[in-house]
Amino acid sequence: MPYLIVHENRCIGCHTCEMVCSLSHEGVINPDLSRIHVIGYKGEKFPIMCLQCEDAPCELVCPMEAIHMDGNIRVVDDDKCIRCKMCTLVCPIGGVLYDYISHKMIRCDLCGGDPQCAKYCPMDAIEVVPDEGVPESRRRGVRVLYGEAD
Amino acid sequence: MFGYAGKILFIDLSTRVVKMIPTEKYTKDFLGGRGIATKIAYDMIPPHVNALDPDNILIMMTGPLTGVAPSSSRIDVVSLSPVTNLLGGSSAGGDFGAVLKFAGYDGIVIKGKSKKPVGIRIIDDEITFHDAEACWEYNVYDTVDCIKSLGREDVQVACIGKAGANLVKMAGISFSKRNLASRGGLGAVMGSKNLKAIAVAGTKGIKVSDQEKLLKYNFEIESTLIKSPSFKKYENWHANISPALLKAKRPYFGDYEEDFWEDAEEAAKNAKHFFEEMAVLKPNSCFACPLRCWAWIEYKGEEAPMVACQGTFPAIIFILKIKDPELAWKVYLKLQREGMDIMSTAAVVAYASTLGLVKLGSEEVLTLIDKIINREGSGNVLAEGIKKASEHFGVPAVYVKGGMESWSSDIRPFRGIALAAAVTESGSISRAIHGFPASSYYTKPEKAKKVAKKIVGSEKAAEPTNYEGKAALVVYFENEHIIADSLGVCDTPLLSIPLDLWSASYTAATGISMRVEELHFLAGKIRTLERMFNVRRGVDRNRDIISPRFFQSVIRSGPWKGVKIDRDAFERMKSEYYSLRGWDENGIPTDETLKKYGLEW
Repeated sequence: MPYLIVHENRCIGCHTCEMVCSLSHEGVINPDLSRIHVIGYKGEKFPIMCLQCEDAPCELVCPMEAIHMDGNIRVVDDDKCIRCKMCTLVCPIGGVLYDYISHKMIRCDLCGGDPQCAKYCPMDAIEVVPDEGVPESRRRGVRVLYGEAD
Repeated sequence: MFGYAGKILFIDLSTRVVKMIPTEKYTKDFLGGRGIATKIAYDMIPPHVNALDPDNILIMMTGPLTGVAPSSSRIDVVSLSPVTNLLGGSSAGGDFGAVLKFAGYDGIVIKGKSKKPVGIRIIDDEITFHDAEACWEYNVYDTVDCIKSLGREDVQVACIGKAGANLVKMAGISFSKRNLASRGGLGAVMGSKNLKAIAVAGTKGIKVSDQEKLLKYNFEIESTLIKSPSFKKYENWHANISPALLKAKRPYFGDYEEDFWEDAEEAAKNAKHFFEEMAVLKPNSCFACPLRCWAWIEYKGEEAPMVACQGTFPAIIFILKIKDPELAWKVYLKLQREGMDIMSTAAVVAYASTLGLVKLGSEEVLTLIDKIINREGSGNVLAEGIKKASEHFGVPAVYVKGGMESWSSDIRPFRGIALAAAVTESGSISRAIHGFPASSYYTKPEKAKKVAKKIVGSEKAAEPTNYEGKAALVVYFENEHIIADSLGVCDTPLLSIPLDLWSASYTAATGISMRVEELHFLAGKIRTLERMFNVRRGVDRNRDIISPRFFQSVIRSGPWKGVKIDRDAFERMKSEYYSLRGWDENGIPTDETLKKYGLEW
């Protein structure tokens, strides 16, 4: 299963990823229901989505133990979930959200292996990398953000 | 409804009555955006009101593709223009249009006049009025920051600056901090209604008819844009546009001077250097657009967004003859922050220089702009627009139809532009002939000739100074712009992508079948309706004019040495244009034309 990597310096803030995410998952165009969000201030913008943390706060906080790993992605068991939305509170990047139309907790599911946001991103700011490429890509991302270590 | 949000918000500010108009009433006949806005203006604006009367109506309409297809983020603003007292229209990109649709509205229609300065907040179904007395004289930046700090940070804001509040006729409506519906003085209309700002946030989203097909066509449109050779050039557009315009021989200098400005090359080079070396640029895009034609620009602690394609910065350096890019940047900051039409203001300031009120290329320009914004002294007269000012001072000025300030392209050598400037109903270059082959005749001759050949069957029609075939070109490009503005698509991408892809995307989104020929038919219909609006206000052939100074002016030096417009040839172009449109010799749509379009009185 692949992962998504964000090249934040390439993003132009066009919100195309939000458009296709909500369109392909929910069948409507609505950035509020998109599992990926473009955040930022003035010119600095980049998309962010569930990063599939190793030690996920959402999973730890869930009182019903409804969140678990399924293969490589974290999923919510809708039958167990009581919609207390604690997971949205603890996620440091806002990767979990509440779908107020179908009343479910939703998050990035990597579109079953073919992430639409990466396909549509005009600037290739979202990249699909294989499992083993993740540590290197994320390290690279951190270096871009904070600079090289001395 | 699919694709459309389904309803148009109607607000009467005098009584604070809020009503809904179903969009379905108009979609079949007028498509959306500019088409529906024109129809509403035609139905609701009485023929005898003036632009700044409370009975005038301000209409903001999105198109069916706004927020739905790539490069489609446009919102069209139509009202009676205070500059011309005829139909006025302008459009803007950004995120406002898309967010308005996400909130569940295809458009906003504003009537009446509030007793006190007011702001409107639209959060989905919740529409509230807020006192705007305290921020009435704020500039656009402070207004946006103020509104965002009053609650939701994620609202999109349409507002006017101090110029609009003072009813300055060059004031535009600013969408957030960057996108301006600037032409036609529509900001003054908003100011006359005592309406400072409209803030929108929406969570409802847009339903579409065929999800799979829409994704497919959107992907096709987007990849065509990305693969086009000019896609890479957008990144450096800010730096390259001034030299490119000069190479295309398009700018005019000062108050339409006959002499070529010797320092033009150097000024363009300085501007290029400014964007490449001095300022920091961060490319950005409007909603769902890959083109990144605007950027956040930071220079010495000041920052502002700038859209490259409208040529606002080149207008400042060429029309105001400013060699120093730092000064040009200061002028840009001031105009952008006050939400003013840069082309018009530059033309007015240049006109003031012939009166001896200001020295072009110096810091005095900034002082005069301040005077215009605050309506102090001579600024009070200049704030009424170039035609009224010329009547006041008795010195002839240059203007296009209805007395609107000229476009940033020199009109004298470009016959097609001259024709469009005379026959246009709403007086803006970006509503008529953006992408015209003559504009790129000297930069991309092969392409320009190919386009002209395709449309009128003759390569000669691409030559700027040639009168032949220009009427047909103007008809074609006007139609394309009407389709773009009505669908909610930006005109640059619309022109570079086959129209059948856009109509396919429209069909997938709305479930309404649409062929390319139908789009052209509707464009002709909307154009004729625009004409009827003005005919009702007394426009005929005699008012389809550009200022007399154009015909007297002979260019003395530079690439266009010896060029002038011939009045007879110009009138012939007009006749040709009328007949192509199905209007009579006097410029009035004939009964058959009205019948064909189903627009009988």
